[in-house]
Amino acid sequence: MVQFRDAVSAYKALNGLICVYKPPCVPVKQVMHIVKTNLCRDLNALPGRPIEKRVEIVGSTTEPMQVKLVPNYADNPLVCGPRYINDDIRCSWATHLGLFSSGVLLLGINEGTRITYKINVGRPTRAFKVHGQLGKATDTYFWNGRTMERSTFHHITREKMDKVVAHMQAAHQKTMFEQSGLQMDSQQTYELASQGLIRPADNKLPVIYGMKCVYFNPPNFTLEIQSVNEYDKYLWTLIHDLGVQLKSTAYCTAVQCIRQGKFDVDLALLRKHWSLEHIAYNMNMCQEILDENERLLKPESAILSA
Amino acid sequence: MALSSAFNKFYKSFRNREITKQLCGYLQYATSSSLIKNEDFGANALKPVSEDLSTITPYFPNTFNLAAYVNQSDTLKNLVNLNVNLSKIEKKPFIVDKILKLDFEKDMKSHIIFLNDFVGMEEIGNFITKNPMILCEPLEDLQVRVNYLYSKGFKGDQINRIISKNPFWLMFSTIRIDDRLGFYQKCLTLCGREVRDLAVKQPKLITYNLHAVKCNLFVIKEEMGFEDNEVKEIVLNKPKLLMLNQRNLLERFNFIHNEMKISHQTILKTPEILMCRKFRIKQRHLFLEKLGRSQYNPKKENYVPIKSLIEDTDTEFCRNIAKCSVDDFNTFLKTL
Repeated sequence: MVQFRDAVSAYKALNGLICVYKPPCVPVKQVMHIVKTNLCRDLNALPGRPIEKRVEIVGSTTEPMQVKLVPNYADNPLVCGPRYINDDIRCSWATHLGLFSSGVLLLGINEGTRITYKINVGRPTRAFKVHGQLGKATDTYFWNGRTMERSTFHHITREKMDKVVAHMQAAHQKTMFEQSGLQMDSQQTYELASQGLIRPADNKLPVIYGMKCVYFNPPNFTLEIQSVNEYDKYLWTLIHDLGVQLKSTAYCTAVQCIRQGKFDVDLALLRKHWSLEHIAYNMNMCQEILDENERLLKPESAILSA
Repeated sequence: MALSSAFNKFYKSFRNREITKQLCGYLQYATSSSLIKNEDFGANALKPVSEDLSTITPYFPNTFNLAAYVNQSDTLKNLVNLNVNLSKIEKKPFIVDKILKLDFEKDMKSHIIFLNDFVGMEEIGNFITKNPMILCEPLEDLQVRVNYLYSKGFKGDQINRIISKNPFWLMFSTIRIDDRLGFYQKCLTLCGREVRDLAVKQPKLITYNLHAVKCNLFVIKEEMGFEDNEVKEIVLNKPKLLMLNQRNLLERFNFIHNEMKISHQTILKTPEILMCRKFRIKQRHLFLEKLGRSQYNPKKENYVPIKSLIEDTDTEFCRNIAKCSVDDFNTFLKTL
């Protein structure tokens, strides 16, 4: 843990990226608000700068006047309010997570907001664990929706599941080349494709690089998905499509982001650890990762690296 | 009532402009009178002056807060020395307006000496921060309200607790307090001693918004399904339940009763479980369930007391109840 001696040095040190674990059903905006409020609380608890002095010139103007140095009441925290307030701390997210999703969330604090912008533009891949349940379809494709349909799922085996998941992955890989923005029958495309996976040209289109069923215990199952440009609703529809292709129905029960770029879930700070010391320590850890992997912020080519 | 609320709105809309105008008026009052006296219309501006000019102060410009004036005003300085947080008071301009008309020696001193008997010197700053309007109430009224409490059979230390825990109590007239005590007595069918216990245990409840209290009583009785005498027991045990957000309260109960399968009787014995935020109960319960230890029936083996879900830190919870290391618990939390 990082120990701070006074609030001024602590505030100056708070520039960088942190990695928090967003709980489900808490919006990202609230996460940022909690982080900011906790930081202010801890900064105000540390010994701050001393109260300024004030020069007062008193006495009658006809006689020699007295110059006095008195404590400045206007600088007292009781009068001018706490030294650090939420507005003093800037905070922004790197990539958004929906209300019901949980998992790794990168936040930039103060100067770190620039890093989050670069990460957002750099589009690192994210890995998700998407939990689903067979036998029921809802109107939102998620647990919060109304039930639209029920069906049996006894005919679904692990093999069938793997087959359909592999088929879906292959279909997505094909669209990956189509969305690279290159002509399909050119030498350039061939050279790019021969090096491995590539990024889409458009930053709105979701592209899935890998899909795997990691847990299967009907009716519950879990998929692990690596992708770029995805959003929570897209992952829900994926589960719904999977259910349809399995000749049954399915809906999504949870979406959990387990990795973003090089930042994985082990690094993420839990809600109870969102305090100044933990955040400062986490900031150093994240900075080390950023220093080791410069490509995270500046991808050189369309080849998928992280 | 309607008039005063209209007044408040008016002040809120004019906020800081209004305060500062008022303030400038008071602070410059002394200086301007001396100025007029000394003014000599025919004098040359560059001529050296032999009179005492120390009473002339620069013009106070309009500002957004009290910090600009605190160095000039002895009253405000004294309040700061008492640990009153002016930055919180100035959030409500209509209160600031009334406070600034008061003089420390003349208006505030007797009030502070009076409050000192009940609140204590350390807490007085906090008290005035929360309810600065107490300084505008007539002292006789405050004495009458304290006497009312004595007449209702409250003891001295009980009255101290009531007044220090709820700074707004003394703002309510004896008629309103009497109405409210009567409301709780009728609503929960309490006897005199129980009403006193309730008021001493949670003084804020008596002056709380009655609509919210009625809603929460409805939630506890109709939506949760407790009997009348059970409601009374719960409220006397944890009066703060009536001051919670009703939606949160119901969500917590739904989780505890429907998902954890805790019976009404158990909740009745440990109503503090309803005071704990849902996510804290949920994560500990799911962890115990994962370990196969979520056994809340005291008659079977491996009994986990329901209280353990809400008290102690996570480290102690893991060591004493879950019998594992706190790292396992943290890893589990990252799978939710």
